[in-house]
Amino acid sequence: MSLEEKFTAIRKGLLEFLVLKIISANQVYAADILKELNATEFATQEGTLYPLLSKMRREELVDYEWKESEAGPPRKYYELTAKGREALRETHDYWQKISGTVKNLGQK
Amino acid sequence: MNKVITINLNGVAYQLEEGGYDALRTYLDHAARRLEGNPDKDEIITDIEQAIADKFRALLGAYKTVVSTKEVTGVIAEMGPVEGDVTEEAANGAATAGRASAATDDTGREEASSCAPRRLYKIREGAMLAGVCNGVAAYLNFDVTIVRLLFTLLTFLWGTGVVVYLLMAIIVPEARTPAEKAAASGMAATAQEFIKRARAGYYEGMKSFHDRHARREWKRKFKRDMRGWKYGFHQQMHEQSTQWQQQWAQHPSPIFGPVFLAPLLSILLFLLVVLMMWAIYSLVTVHAVFGLVMPSTMPLWVGILLVVVAYQLVAWPIKSVRFACYYPAPHHHHGGLLGGLVGSLIGLFFLGFGIWMMDRHVPEFHEWLVQLPALLQHLADVVKGWFAQKG
Repeated sequence: MSLEEKFTAIRKGLLEFLVLKIISANQVYAADILKELNATEFATQEGTLYPLLSKMRREELVDYEWKESEAGPPRKYYELTAKGREALRETHDYWQKISGTVKNLGQK
Repeated sequence: MNKVITINLNGVAYQLEEGGYDALRTYLDHAARRLEGNPDKDEIITDIEQAIADKFRALLGAYKTVVSTKEVTGVIAEMGPVEGDVTEEAANGAATAGRASAATDDTGREEASSCAPRRLYKIREGAMLAGVCNGVAAYLNFDVTIVRLLFTLLTFLWGTGVVVYLLMAIIVPEARTPAEKAAASGMAATAQEFIKRARAGYYEGMKSFHDRHARREWKRKFKRDMRGWKYGFHQQMHEQSTQWQQQWAQHPSPIFGPVFLAPLLSILLFLLVVLMMWAIYSLVTVHAVFGLVMPSTMPLWVGILLVVVAYQLVAWPIKSVRFACYYPAPHHHHGGLLGGLVGSLIGLFFLGFGIWMMDRHVPEFHEWLVQLPALLQHLADVVKGWFAQKG
């Protein structure tokens, strides 16, 4: 089992966190999110991202706004809600804790 | 040379090669199935269609107007499989293995769901009373007149028809939405569903504009697009019918359909019509059909009705087989001929059952049935004699 396979579940679990992070930077539309993710180990496809975004919207973490685009029909631009920002902060703290643990464990 | 199919993704028409169309359809069907139960299913599908449209647009140019099958499969691979609940799957851990088995599972179910489900509804359009007969006719793929005649006939049996009709009028739901109307006759409501989805998106979009001016602009744009879509569908229908005609011209004998049967069946049907006309004629003039004398208590119009019903019962299976010959399984619709055969078997069953019941309960009919062979012999002799005279 390659490392990549081993970490499939972890990468998936982190995806929501990363999407929150990307959206927190500025208003983005789905293709922007994908572009940013695909440059990393967290490469993701539309088939995964769209259901995730709609779930996050249902949980009121993100919201979108329609904006005209120069090419084609209007696009949905996502932004964080107050609840989303709060979730991002919490997740971020938790992640800091975990990565701290990973770093410190076994070092004496 | 490849056949091209025009599709409509969020208001823009794209032309795909046939193989690509099939692949895209399968992908979207799978996606819809995976999202079953998701409250945002329609919205996600619209988003996915939008993303596919964006990718197609990037592939096309002034001198390239058709998306090839290879390009479509490429785009689908880029999109990746649509996943149900993301967090749930992550919790399950073995995501890859799970997805693989789900994929095979999906292909297994593909066959079953390729035909849109049919439901019994009352249909108001073109109804005489409550639309029960209309709905039953759509459900059984019968002519509505036959269903009405059958109900009328049933009424003579101690008013059964009226009771059944009233019960059905109360119990059977009415087809109100376009989707229900489509389900009433087993058609997939893709076009209507599409427009419905677009409307949902429009209202969603409306919410996000706070400025009155922007809202008006959005509304105007939506209306224009809506017209475009309707035109698009119309256009698509037209193009498909043209393609069908071309296919006809190219392949006079499709692979599945024993088309040589069709003219024979047509002749048979014509002969049946002639026979029915003659039967009615003899009923009116001598109150008898092929030697079967009408009971004096029975009014003439009931006799005529019976003849017409008998004709329809015999003609229906022939018609359905002939239909199957002409339309031998268009690409995403399996079992055209099979469906026709099943239909005709049901028809033959009813015919046999009817004859059996008559034979048991109507002595005159039994007698007539007994001498039928001799009668047919006589008929054949008459025809032979007529030909001999001519020759």
